[in-house]
Amino acid sequence: MKVEKVDFVSVLTRDLARAKRFYSETLGLRIESEGESDLEFSLGQVTLDVFDPTSIGQEFEPSPAGIAVRVPDVAAARAELEAKGVEFEGEIVHTSVCDMTFFKDPDGNALILHRRHAPFADGRMP
Amino acid sequence: MIEVERVDYVRVPVDDIEAAKHFYGEVLGLPRNEHLDHEDWVEYETPNVTLAVMTPESHEYEFTPLPPATIALRVPDVAVAREKLQAAGLEAGETWDSGACRGVGVTDPAGNRILLHRRYAPYDDGTPPSPS
Repeated sequence: MKVEKVDFVSVLTRDLARAKRFYSETLGLRIESEGESDLEFSLGQVTLDVFDPTSIGQEFEPSPAGIAVRVPDVAAARAELEAKGVEFEGEIVHTSVCDMTFFKDPDGNALILHRRHAPFADGRMP
Repeated sequence: MIEVERVDYVRVPVDDIEAAKHFYGEVLGLPRNEHLDHEDWVEYETPNVTLAVMTPESHEYEFTPLPPATIALRVPDVAVAREKLQAAGLEAGETWDSGACRGVGVTDPAGNRILLHRRYAPYDDGTPPSPS
């Protein structure tokens, strides 16, 4: 099997207009395309597809994937999102290699603000 | 506005790490990040996104599989990929064609529904699908 890349990652929504506001206005992601039942956002090196599953007769399920998005400063980004009403789960986690903090979008899809600060085992920097 | 730079990883929750290692490492053929030696967090590298195969139970939350198409992996030929999945003893769904892309769903050993995907049509503005 040859896997060339990840074409997109997706989350499901029950309210496309609400999801549009969250991902474009709260997180500040650029909209790549907009359809009747889905929205595509630029999430750095990959597309984030936000999709209404009822448009194809499927049930909504929130994703536990926890897409980890890289931000320059986890604490600053969290403070900015909290000021916009986003609620976080617990405190910022500081591991030996990274900082991260957990939250959900309005549909309950898990997301993570993440920043690695330590070099990798082979000496490469993040 | 916060500055989202990129995706660092996407968690793939599993309930059997050995079965998951077989699926992602051997069936899908993804290279493993050899710099990590955790038994409950194994990273597989696609060229653009890291898949963090991990056990929620050891990370303080309950296991739930991913909804369909949370992760869409680009393959050269969806029909050939489907044949390879079936040859590996996996149950693949029917291949679909949206008019712009083809796809087939496969369920990993933990119940995560992964999409194998290939766009073949140009975009509305005439841009061809991006090369690999």
